[in-house]
Amino acid sequence: MKVGLIYLIIALGLLILSTLKDFKKTKKSLKVSGKIALTVWPVLFLIFVLMGITATFFTKETISSLLGKNSGFLGIIIGELIGSVALIQPSAVYPYAGVLLQKGADYGVLLAFIMAAILLGITTLPLEIQMFGKKFTIIRNILLLLFIFLAAIIFKFIF
Amino acid sequence: MSKKGLTQILIYLFSGLIILGIVRIISPAKSLLVEKVVYDTFINTFSIVVAVEIIIGLIQTWVSPETIAKLLGKEAGWQGLLLSSTFPLIIGGSLFVIFPLVKTLREKGASVACVLAFLTAWGGKAPLLPLEIHFLGLKFAIVRLALIIPMAIITGLLGEFILNKWEKTLQKI
Repeated sequence: MKVGLIYLIIALGLLILSTLKDFKKTKKSLKVSGKIALTVWPVLFLIFVLMGITATFFTKETISSLLGKNSGFLGIIIGELIGSVALIQPSAVYPYAGVLLQKGADYGVLLAFIMAAILLGITTLPLEIQMFGKKFTIIRNILLLLFIFLAAIIFKFIF
Repeated sequence: MSKKGLTQILIYLFSGLIILGIVRIISPAKSLLVEKVVYDTFINTFSIVVAVEIIIGLIQTWVSPETIAKLLGKEAGWQGLLLSSTFPLIIGGSLFVIFPLVKTLREKGASVACVLAFLTAWGGKAPLLPLEIHFLGLKFAIVRLALIIPMAIITGLLGEFILNKWEKTLQKI
């Protein structure tokens, strides 16, 4: 909680600076923040509930065996797949990963999960195709699948 | 507040409440544990999330799309690529917000490499660092951030190369 307070103080400090420089812009930014808050908090609520369920109903053994240090490449693949399918807000990824970590998930697997959740997504595919075309979408997603996998392996060795 | 936005909010809230309700019925004892996690996580993350929301709001109002387009649009060569692989780290938001922004860049002449690097680097999501550090540790956050930049550069270059090859092959046919 203490660390959170520091960030809050920094954010409020920046807010004050912004107010001094341009009040109208600051009002606009608060509106943006408000909009973000409205969309983020409900999702976080659901995520917290899911975290509670995961923490209470899944044993350390299950998660360690699927996603833990010894799950090897399969664990990374599972993590990446879950990440790409998860309809998750970026700010909700980290809290959920935190719970998985507590339950014994491996850092490499978590990286795969996090990166896949942020950068890939079944829900965003239609929009991506519409804006950038099929070829671009296919190339980007396949390249990222590969690189996330590689990065996850690197992470496995570092941690 | 759009209708779609409102519906989404309600869906999330109701889903969460329904799940909590089901857990209460299945196992009153376990539901206490679940609810404790919800409450504790909320208390622990409240100030961080609020701070992040404020900062993202500030960034989105102070850093205009025009500025970004000027910096990355016509910029060719290594500077543009390097910029695309580092600057997007500080932009927040979700994919739905970033796609239109990137599309504008593309329209203003940014190369495919820059666009791909941009999208990948954006995944670094520096504004969320406080959250990341809190849940996964400083070491994890730093290493991830450090890996993202080369990953963005390589994805950009490789992606552009493959895309060009692909389109050339199609033209030959």
